[in-house]
Amino acid sequence: MARRAEPPDGGWGWMVVLSAFFQSALVFGVLRSFGVFFVEFVAAFEEQAARVSWIVSIGIAVQQFGSPVGSALSTKFGPRPVVMTGGILAALGMLLASFATSLTHLYLSIGLLSGCGWALTFAPTMACVSCYFSRRRSLATGLALTGVGLSSFAFSPLFQWLLSYYAWRGALILVSALSLHLVACGALLRPLFLADDTAVGGPGAQLNSLLHHGPFLRYTVALTLINTGYFIPYIHLVAHLQDLGWDPLPAAFLLSVAAISDLVGRVASGWLGDAVPGPVARLLMLWNTLTGVFLALFPVAQSSTALVALAVAYGFTSGALTPVVFSVLPELVGTGRIYCGLGLLQMIESLGGLLGAPLSGYLRDVTGNYTASFVVAGAFLLAGSGVLITLPHFFSCFSATISRPQDLVTEPLETKVPLPNEKQED
Amino acid sequence: HPNVTVTFCLLCAVEYSTMPIEKNITLDRPSAVKLICELTTSGDLNSVNVTWKKGDDVLENNYPTSATGNILYTQYLLTISNSKQMGSYSCLFQEEKVLRGTFNFKVPELHGKNKPLISYVGDSTVLTCKCEDCFPLNWTWYSSNGSVQVPVGSQQNKHVVNGTHANETRLRITQLLEEDGGSYWCHALFQLGESEEHIELVVLSYLVPLKPFLAIVAEVVLLVTIILLCEKYTQKKQQPLDGGKEFEQIEQLKSDDTNGVENNAPRLRKTEPAGQ
Repeated sequence: MARRAEPPDGGWGWMVVLSAFFQSALVFGVLRSFGVFFVEFVAAFEEQAARVSWIVSIGIAVQQFGSPVGSALSTKFGPRPVVMTGGILAALGMLLASFATSLTHLYLSIGLLSGCGWALTFAPTMACVSCYFSRRRSLATGLALTGVGLSSFAFSPLFQWLLSYYAWRGALILVSALSLHLVACGALLRPLFLADDTAVGGPGAQLNSLLHHGPFLRYTVALTLINTGYFIPYIHLVAHLQDLGWDPLPAAFLLSVAAISDLVGRVASGWLGDAVPGPVARLLMLWNTLTGVFLALFPVAQSSTALVALAVAYGFTSGALTPVVFSVLPELVGTGRIYCGLGLLQMIESLGGLLGAPLSGYLRDVTGNYTASFVVAGAFLLAGSGVLITLPHFFSCFSATISRPQDLVTEPLETKVPLPNEKQED
Repeated sequence: HPNVTVTFCLLCAVEYSTMPIEKNITLDRPSAVKLICELTTSGDLNSVNVTWKKGDDVLENNYPTSATGNILYTQYLLTISNSKQMGSYSCLFQEEKVLRGTFNFKVPELHGKNKPLISYVGDSTVLTCKCEDCFPLNWTWYSSNGSVQVPVGSQQNKHVVNGTHANETRLRITQLLEEDGGSYWCHALFQLGESEEHIELVVLSYLVPLKPFLAIVAEVVLLVTIILLCEKYTQKKQQPLDGGKEFEQIEQLKSDDTNGVENNAPRLRKTEPAGQ
């Protein structure tokens, strides 16, 4: 197959976006809606809620830590076989979980096996989207990530209905069938051969070169800091509202409002990321700083209108973060190393996610309210912004093509003579 | 004999109303009870006829009645120690109309699960019944097919009844079979009466969720096949064009490799149209 020098920015790329939409829904939507099963597990196995919630924690941890493996395999074999295998593993984990007789059984089948399946799907798919787009990369990523938000709305009532009709064993069997659609999503990931892919070598060499790549390492640090603060409101907002005297129903409603705002933010930021010239890292810094500021303002807001306004604003900016996070990476490391880069990034930034929630809970226990934890979370986000400023070409006025992979490739593409028309479109 | 008297008051500090006034009282053990009714009226208090009834039977005339200002105050003392003494007690004030206040004594209600409990063949399940702030003398479980109630708990390994607190009971059924499904009743015996609650158990076989599972798996396999076939088809359409291009490139490389001695004449012919 002939190699392209430019990503297609459309055509089959939109099918890849569709695939990424469904698979982010099937991975993170399922994870987010899994709380519905908790009550059933607590009753069925007569265990405490804390021990049951480890199931999802293990699943997320395995998904993030296993991302480099998924990425390395994608570099070698292409994303399609890896994602399809991941889909089979994820579905198999759920199927085996339906026969569980103890909580450990669930830890291993859902947490470990399905977690491995998810590790093989998420990072390679997002990397594939980045490969297929360059000018509309942020929009494509933003649209793909709306799958997470929309599926949380759809899957929670769906899982409740499944539980009421089939009990948890039957419901897990059907969630397994649902997860099997990841295989179909994987089938849509047609391999794309870009000209700069061959110059960078196999997965081992790529990992090595990434670990010595200054900007990539700085970006990883920035994202780890961001991840530490990012999840705090999702976990602690409802509790904070109840501390202020809100009832559970309006508090849950506020979360839904924030979730809708999150969805709008993702698409808007995706569109904006492509429309605005210059490095996408600047937009990331903007959204990140705003999110940090809003987070720190949460303890200050007391009235209902202020809290609603803050929730909408926080939802929008935190949603706006997400597509841009993925768009910055190809500009830093090039599409040839995107799979490995994304996998490594997921793994390291997960440390932030693991650290953030317990830290926030600890601060709450020590100080008695959530003021300290919100402020600290905001501070982490602002620290991440600070690191983002150190990325190359941050203050440049030119578009991101200056740091494009063509510069990192040592072998010139002598078979193609650039015609005068080609470069102008950048 | 209990030594604490519980007081219940109706129409206390409440305005005169013709609406039926009732109070539901839950008792699970013998108690001494004092029932008080107050009537506020602007008319002549002496012309008001005060009676107490249990159900429709007038009770003996041994209840003190007093009046202060506009308020007529009557009380009835009794000790409820068995189920016959439970029921409805009413105080009646007779002026032009009859004003009736009723105290309803009931045993505690049991709470089970509103929705049917679903489980699978070979699995084990727990049916729970509980009541708030109650201490039954005895809990029993029955299963019913139709109208016949059969006590449960005969088979040793299969049914285990226990409860962590006095106010709840749990029936654990292991190694479920499809016949184990149906209606179950938990029965609480109090000194003052009985209370029961219905729980529905549904036992499904694994085939029930398996059928939609297999249908969805077939759908996924179909989707994947369609996607891959579509791709092969579009690739085949492109291949005659790509194959042609590659063929031309190979030809050009071959002609570049040779010194051009042999192919001089054809090369000249080729370059002429290219030069235009």
